[in-house]
Amino acid sequence: MKRRTLLAAFAASLACVLAAPQAGAQSRWATQGVRIATEGAYAPWNFTKPGGGLDGFEIDLANDLCRRMSVRCTVVAQDWDGIIPSLNAGRYDAIMAGMNITARRQEVISFTRVYAAGPAGLGVAKNSPLARLANTEARFNLERQPAEARAAIDALRAALRGKTIGVQVSTTHANFLNEYFKDVATIREYRTTEQHDLDLQNERVDAIWAAHSALTATFGQPGFENFTIAGPGFSGGILGAGVAVGLRKADEDLRGLFDKAIADALADGTIKALSMKWFKVDLSPQ
Amino acid sequence: MVPFLELMGFGPRGWGAAMLAAAAMTLAVSVAGFLLGGVVGSLIAWAKIAGKRLVRVLADGYTTVLRGVPDLLVIYLFFFGGSAMVTAINRDWFGGQGFVPVPAFLVGMLAVGIVNGAYQAEVFRGGYLAVPKGEIEAARAFAMTRAKMFRRIVAPQVARFALPGLGNCWQLCLKESALISVTGLLELLRQAQIGAGSTRQPFEFYLAACVLYLAITTVSGWGFAFAERRTRRGVARA
Repeated sequence: MKRRTLLAAFAASLACVLAAPQAGAQSRWATQGVRIATEGAYAPWNFTKPGGGLDGFEIDLANDLCRRMSVRCTVVAQDWDGIIPSLNAGRYDAIMAGMNITARRQEVISFTRVYAAGPAGLGVAKNSPLARLANTEARFNLERQPAEARAAIDALRAALRGKTIGVQVSTTHANFLNEYFKDVATIREYRTTEQHDLDLQNERVDAIWAAHSALTATFGQPGFENFTIAGPGFSGGILGAGVAVGLRKADEDLRGLFDKAIADALADGTIKALSMKWFKVDLSPQ
Repeated sequence: MVPFLELMGFGPRGWGAAMLAAAAMTLAVSVAGFLLGGVVGSLIAWAKIAGKRLVRVLADGYTTVLRGVPDLLVIYLFFFGGSAMVTAINRDWFGGQGFVPVPAFLVGMLAVGIVNGAYQAEVFRGGYLAVPKGEIEAARAFAMTRAKMFRRIVAPQVARFALPGLGNCWQLCLKESALISVTGLLELLRQAQIGAGSTRQPFEFYLAACVLYLAITTVSGWGFAFAERRTRRGVARA
């Protein structure tokens, strides 16, 4: 898994060197349209319907933002591996795939303002001792409440000693676990969230760490009745500032268009409405 | 939870058509890659057997490097490097604007074919070395032209010796095609992942993908068995 990440990073830097920035007028987005990539396998953020069409929170939001920007948009599905290198290679112009803003990602691409933010935490079996973790309603921001967050993490560290935790590879969640829990717990990285869901179901891991929105969606599925979110939720800092549109660094003009559209969609409540529709909770950034 | 048969069926909640289309894509990219690998492999084998010193060294380098690096790296190189190169050439030499995508299918075929060619080259070379020297000398004594000697003496026997190895190469091809999903090509494994992530019923999708892969390998296995029998006509079983 590490090798895959390295390869992708290598390919990305190669693409950066080879692909020179394109110059163009402000209006080129209106004429050529904007191609947006999503994963198409991360329900309910973005997923594929049986007929092959894409659907989900980010598909609805993309259509809304494009209407506000008065540009023609096409949304395409792209494997999570290679989603950033393909952006820099110019295969499409934007990423909307539940992708959090992080410092590492900001080295290679730029981000618009945040359109969704929510806490991340543990998912466990209801009959596991971990299900009795305290503070399940508590929320900590790693940046704004460093001391409280640190105390909550230390409590979790004691509870998770010797446990195995599943997490999706190359995500802010994996970074968080590796930063705070690597020395006390075994961290197992998976290619997709659905794979660690399965291993949790089969009791091959004691817990999984993921966005609460994804955990809620998973645990609403048949077969997951006996699983629940446990312990406090965390956000900010190494977990990323929130989910935003990823763009090539050269496309400052497109970032301006997206920023304005997102601000408008937040102001008139569209993002809140879409979030309630798909997640049953409000993920619009506070 | 949608029942398995409905999920893999052709109704409004059925993914049957999508899975079959993806299996057809897997088959198409594997066959195209295998055929390209055949062409590359025979040229490399020829270079290894009959080439001058420099050509032999280059051919040896080709098979050593491409069998030695991860297939995924070759795919990344073609996919990202290829598009960047084509775009740069278009811009600098033809004054073109914007990004020129290399089609995912072409990238898949090239990556599979070029890696598989390295394996097939070794199989062909082994097949050629197994042809008894005496028969080649006899053909020369009959004053056969090189073309006729190749057609009547070398090719039929290399085919016989190489076929079992080629069967293995074909299966490598089929499995390497699953790596092409990083390019966004909608082949069988990628479709199964999409379905699993979208419906959260992974077992059904991976089981269906498994059955479809096995169907492809089983049927192609019969094909190779048939071809082996044909090339062995007139040869006593050991």
